[in-house]
Amino acid sequence: MSSQLPRRPGRTSAGRLLKGVKPYRPASPRSAPPGPSASSPRASRRSAPLWYALCVPQLQSGGEGWVAQERLQELAARLGQVSATVSIQPPDSVVFEVRSSLTYFGGIANIRTRVLELLEPLLSSWGVESGLQQAVSPTPAASLLLARRGCNLLVYRRDSLRSALGSLPLDALASSQAPAKARNRSRQLRNSGLQVMRDIWRLPRQALARRFGPDFVRQLDVCLGDMPMPVTLHQAPPHFSTTMDFDYAVEHSAFLFHAIEELLGRLCLYLRQRELAAAHLQLLLRHEHREDTRVAVELRLASRSLTHLSLLLETRIQALTLVAPVIGMQLEVQRFDAFLPGHQAITGVTDAVHSADQTAIVQLLEQLQARLGNEAVRSLHCHAEHGPELAGSDRTFAGITGSAASGAEYDLPVAARPCWILEKPSALLPPAFRTLQLLSGPERIETRWWSRQPLHRDYYVARNHQGMRLWIYHERTGERAWYLHGVFD
Amino acid sequence: MPSSPSDPRLQALLSSPHLWRAEAPESLLGSPRNADFSGIASGHALLDAALPWQGWPRSALVEIVSPVCGAGELQLVLPLLRTLSTEQQWSAWVAPPMSPYAPGLLGAGVDPARNILVTPTPAQLLWTLEKTLQSPACALVLAWPGPLSGKHLRRLQLAARKGRTLGILFHPRNIRHSPSVLRLATQTRGDTLQVQVLKARGSYRKDGFAIRLGAP
Repeated sequence: MSSQLPRRPGRTSAGRLLKGVKPYRPASPRSAPPGPSASSPRASRRSAPLWYALCVPQLQSGGEGWVAQERLQELAARLGQVSATVSIQPPDSVVFEVRSSLTYFGGIANIRTRVLELLEPLLSSWGVESGLQQAVSPTPAASLLLARRGCNLLVYRRDSLRSALGSLPLDALASSQAPAKARNRSRQLRNSGLQVMRDIWRLPRQALARRFGPDFVRQLDVCLGDMPMPVTLHQAPPHFSTTMDFDYAVEHSAFLFHAIEELLGRLCLYLRQRELAAAHLQLLLRHEHREDTRVAVELRLASRSLTHLSLLLETRIQALTLVAPVIGMQLEVQRFDAFLPGHQAITGVTDAVHSADQTAIVQLLEQLQARLGNEAVRSLHCHAEHGPELAGSDRTFAGITGSAASGAEYDLPVAARPCWILEKPSALLPPAFRTLQLLSGPERIETRWWSRQPLHRDYYVARNHQGMRLWIYHERTGERAWYLHGVFD
Repeated sequence: MPSSPSDPRLQALLSSPHLWRAEAPESLLGSPRNADFSGIASGHALLDAALPWQGWPRSALVEIVSPVCGAGELQLVLPLLRTLSTEQQWSAWVAPPMSPYAPGLLGAGVDPARNILVTPTPAQLLWTLEKTLQSPACALVLAWPGPLSGKHLRRLQLAARKGRTLGILFHPRNIRHSPSVLRLATQTRGDTLQVQVLKARGSYRKDGFAIRLGAP
């Protein structure tokens, strides 16, 4: 049973059933007898799935890949109203299962109207109103093939699939493959005198597999539903936003904490239900006749701990001066992350005490960063460099790792290095230099000769009249001046 | 106060909850009489001997008074940093006057990766100090806070006790009547560091001794 989709002109040649001598017979035993569908079409209609494919070819041609991907996501999100099983098929199509919603909507025609209603505003906003191609068939692969070729067909039964697909040119099959391979295959098919799918159905399966490869046969099986086609379901991205309005205006930030705890309570519940963690939070404080105050919290390690999140937000709010009384709040999550429960404990690398310590330090660093800014919290590093300025550095915490082996590849120099360094060496004027007592040296450091700032220095340890041990150097080129570079202890 | 009263009546009185013992909070924060709170070995035998805890006290505030920064007072702390980094504990440096140099620390046996450098603005300094001391994450907080009032020191002392952190503050001048548990004064003479115990809670000894600064 095969019929046109209503209200759309389509090809008519698919209605005929073919009677070949040596038909292409699928290998799968599951599908061998076409019995049940022949005897009771109603039963088969109820059990077998029905896949609706939508194709917007303009998506492929217009703009960049990620634009198309995003638009497909939008399409899929809307189609969630029609079907629970929606899958994005890049680059230009979406398939969704409609058998389960057939009764609810009262037939395929109603579903089609509903789909068009849902998508028309979206398509017209993209400027591709006329570009929608659709097809319905029992297998997602066949629906996709038909939709991409622009055959607006409705095929209810699996045993009519062959005839429905029969008039499709064989190039259609190749479109889902790598271009070079596809071109090769279609030339091969053309040279064999095979133009449309119907030609294939007449050929023995063994010969097909031998000549065109097992992949080709598999593709045919998938189209006819003899082999399942794995379909990745589209899942809407998580979204969380919650608001709270106050009965009276709050003037002091300390009074906001209770409300924040409540909002965070809702958030943590949401996160726990979905096995997620929040990586970037935003709290909007609403004012009357004024723009909202925005408080953003970026987390180093995505978290769903109520105490941790509230500590961070409260730290931020304490540092804030309220420009106006607050009449309401909105909490949003800008970015989610997967929740990783104690992954270190699972690997067995670190024990429980250690990872608890890790959490404590991460929380402390986040709290400090929330109040002082990222620049104010730094870690110390050694680098395998001869130049003293380059050998040690401090930088902002990019992410904490328990075994941050910053000194692992660093070979200690023979001579002692000071514990303090001046960020910029300060010039020692002759009167100051005369009071110094040289203790040891020189240690010659010559490096970076390949760069614009070569180092030619002799380093000495000296003591000044205050008893400080200093690390000083003497330029061996240029002005031959003396500089103070570090302090030992 | 007798440490082990033999009179049963006195014992009953001492165990009464209505009696407030001035000693009790002391023992919590590392009184020498409480064996559970022995100190952390300082790495200097003379310093250990001079202090009632046989080392640095735990979860307490310590002040080191040194007229100039960089004149050897870090030598007092380096062995402690070394011990903590072998135990994989974190140390924080709050508002140091110069940048700590990672190769120098590594040369002294301290793992730089276990040290955090925090440079707050002067207005945020007390908040930062309180938070780092309060957090159980850091075992040691070294800080160069500048002049502080007794009230602030008291608050920091409480924070250190809460977080079980040893806080070492470096001052240029002696603050009298400070509530810190231990106060040391250092002065450099030649290649030795003269250390004077100004105050150690639980001890009346005011020892002075000299530490030889490492000859390079």
